[in-house]
Amino acid sequence: MPVQSTAAPARAGSRLCVRCGERKAALKRPKTLEQICRECFYIVFEDEIHRTIVDNNLFKAGERVAIGASGGKDSTVLAYVLSELNKRHNYGLDLFLLSIDEGITGYRDDSLETVKRNEIQYGLPLKIVSYKDLYDWTMDDIVKAIGLKNNCTFCGVFRRQALDRGAALLKVDKIVTGHNADDIAETVLLNILRGDIARLSRCTFITTGEDGPIPRCKPFKYTYEKEIVIYPLHDIFQSILRCIYSPNAYRGFAREFIKDLERMRPRAILDIITSGENFRISTTTRMPEQGTCERCGYISSQKLCKACVLLEGLNRGLPKLGIGRTAKSGAGADGNGERQGKRPERNRSSLHGKHGNLDF
Amino acid sequence: MTSCGGGGGGGGCGANCSSSAADDAPEERLARVTISTGAAATCGKCGVGAVVVVAGGVGLCGECLRAHLFGKFKLAVTSNAMVRPTDSVLLAFSGGPASRVALQFIHDMRSKAVESWDASNSQALPVFDVGVAFVDESALLSKPRREVELAIADIKSIVSSILPSDKAMHITPLEDVFSSESNGREGRLRELVGMINDDTGREDLLQCLRMLSLQKIALENGYAKIMLGSCASAIACHVLSATVKGQGYSLPADVQYVDTRWEVPVVLPLRDCLAQELSLLCELDSLKTQQLLDRPCSGINGLVASFVARLREENPSREHTVVRTAQKLKPFSFNKFSANGYHDFLPSRLRPKFQNVDSDESTLSEVLCLICRTPFSESELQNLESTKHKPQKKIDLYTAYCCQSCHFQILPGGANMYDQFFSLLPKFWTERVDTATASQSSLRDQIEDYLLENNDDEN
Amino acid sequence: MHLTLEFGGGLELLLEKSTKVHKVDVPPMDGEVKATMKGLLSWVKSNLIKERPEMFIKGDSVRPGVLVLINDCDWELCGGLDAELEDKDVVVFISTLHGG
Repeated sequence: MPVQSTAAPARAGSRLCVRCGERKAALKRPKTLEQICRECFYIVFEDEIHRTIVDNNLFKAGERVAIGASGGKDSTVLAYVLSELNKRHNYGLDLFLLSIDEGITGYRDDSLETVKRNEIQYGLPLKIVSYKDLYDWTMDDIVKAIGLKNNCTFCGVFRRQALDRGAALLKVDKIVTGHNADDIAETVLLNILRGDIARLSRCTFITTGEDGPIPRCKPFKYTYEKEIVIYPLHDIFQSILRCIYSPNAYRGFAREFIKDLERMRPRAILDIITSGENFRISTTTRMPEQGTCERCGYISSQKLCKACVLLEGLNRGLPKLGIGRTAKSGAGADGNGERQGKRPERNRSSLHGKHGNLDF
Repeated sequence: MTSCGGGGGGGGCGANCSSSAADDAPEERLARVTISTGAAATCGKCGVGAVVVVAGGVGLCGECLRAHLFGKFKLAVTSNAMVRPTDSVLLAFSGGPASRVALQFIHDMRSKAVESWDASNSQALPVFDVGVAFVDESALLSKPRREVELAIADIKSIVSSILPSDKAMHITPLEDVFSSESNGREGRLRELVGMINDDTGREDLLQCLRMLSLQKIALENGYAKIMLGSCASAIACHVLSATVKGQGYSLPADVQYVDTRWEVPVVLPLRDCLAQELSLLCELDSLKTQQLLDRPCSGINGLVASFVARLREENPSREHTVVRTAQKLKPFSFNKFSANGYHDFLPSRLRPKFQNVDSDESTLSEVLCLICRTPFSESELQNLESTKHKPQKKIDLYTAYCCQSCHFQILPGGANMYDQFFSLLPKFWTERVDTATASQSSLRDQIEDYLLENNDDEN
Repeated sequence: MHLTLEFGGGLELLLEKSTKVHKVDVPPMDGEVKATMKGLLSWVKSNLIKERPEMFIKGDSVRPGVLVLINDCDWELCGGLDAELEDKDVVVFISTLHGG
């Protein structure tokens, strides 16, 4: 639904784009405070992502790359931009869309429709892996079994693993995700609030899991959410993604704080990322040694991986098994209580956004 | 940092604190008790008094809260060898609860030391001295003169009720940092502050000037240490604001008990106490505070303060967790007393604890920002080096000696204003760069020596 | 004054009628010569929003994280709250605070 020039009488004070000097400026870039027109915006937006990809050697020619596609704005824009850049700059990548079907009626259905549309629009092969196929449980089933508490823990753990499994099926060399600068800044703050120094040291890496089977990278690491939202404007916002099991989509204070900061000082988001990159963390802080799960072979520092523990609990009718804490009574308790697990850094805090989004 | 912990710590929480446990840090989970309003729970420590606060997971009565806070203070002082018997300590007093408690505690410690000194036969070790400084920033406040005078009179009476000697109290206007100019100091301060466009930058510059002012008082009056009332809550705020300002690299420098990067070392004995607990103690013990001259934080610092206040509501020990995160970052070499023989006053059994100096830690002195004295990160150093290596004017050098954060939020908008701006800064700051450049060649030699040494090691 | 308002990114769910596009007729604001965004926001708040107005408004502006475009132009370039509106303008509100 294009709205261009429906009614755009030249307003007093409307300025020209600082880049082309011809067209009317349409937005102020949060990163540089430049006022530029829409046409120039597309150019610099795509260019910056290209630079990020090149400067950080994210890809090698001939690689197979899966785009973690949720149907949301970030991954949709990522899929489009990456396929464009791949053609334009001859990256020589084989791109795939990889989606997870959690089995949430009415929520994933919609977003999977978006992804299927992307498959056709961008001409990228799509692979959908479902919780049902992998674990024999849909999120609908899980919620039926355990109620609305802790279901996000299941979803987060399962999704993380499902993405790796799907990637393995596609035989890709890399997974890219749509995490943007706001997401990363938020994660830096959350890790400070949780005292999680191990994650704090890694959360600003543009590529993670290089020691594991399939590395993941974030081409939008330096891209502001505001620009991702403006980029497609009307095309993509056909459906909003709101998980029905997390109706408030409560992302915690941290997200709101980030937005408050951005309004006061747009560069704060990049400054937080810079801080995250520069923290003096002694090299002795290392993650626990990674082995593999005895049951499914997935990487795990324990005998069984988290997903297998959770599954066992579900299958034996003990859904609390592996949650890492017993939920206290009380409304709004996002799971506060005692810890059972031995891996403190794996535990979610109440500060964690309800969506496993950040773990995706 | 004199007003640290002041404004933020209202007594709104107290015993009604929601007792959601911190699931992320095990030590915080210890026996957090829920205290229902009205129900008279008894103190988890002495089992007698009525609970007034939950601290460290235990409900405490007033008596035990005092002991708990004093214990933390004393432990911080002794285990970090903050105060030597021969020292004079200058306490930065803002009138707020944190520094008010610090005043009480350091005085109590001294009284006890004097008692035992009187009692001991040898009287071998002298007892440290205490003085108090108040930096008067009223030049920048739009408050009626009369109000300011009353507030300052209040501050004086609070201090003299504890330290009767006139010589122990130093009230200095902030503009005195511009010592060389006999008149027009106030105008110069206003002009300097007025050149800064960013609210946060203005506030942060004042913070730097305040520290300079304290340093000056300490140097002129022979104090060996400056003690700040920075409490855990204030430090938690600082951790987050520094992160937001992109100062992740230098952050650990500011959160340690000891900071010797200044002419007179700075110590933070209240680092482990929460603002709320300190305010409550002031209330319980009727410790008078005077915060009329406090400025509420604004800009980024204000946003961070209200964010931290929300976090505190969600979980009272969140501030501790934030401070603990920052403590896990690597401190700098100046975050401990390292002068030869510094620890000689300690009993010999305690000395080894302070002597495990990392030999691999670079002995090179850190390059510090001209304005805020944060240590330079890699990229800031690179920028400085490249400026040094090309033909430059003095102003270019001054600019390169500012950290990226001061660059953005403190330096004035147009580079054409830099000349004026740097000429307004306290001479003390700019002269430091002048001397540093003078000895630059010798520093370069030092670096080369160091590199050579390293090469030798590898071979 | 006729305006076309569009709500996206989840904001439409806060409205009386959960559709994205609203063609509305905004009466002249009290005491104001020209219609401004400030006036429009308070009109939207009292006439269109059904629940959780705090997801949309904070203070007298939109909540940080909500993008506003006037005729496809970032409202920050048009004067923000003081931006003047004219008949047949298209104003878009998009929240970025919902899932990615």
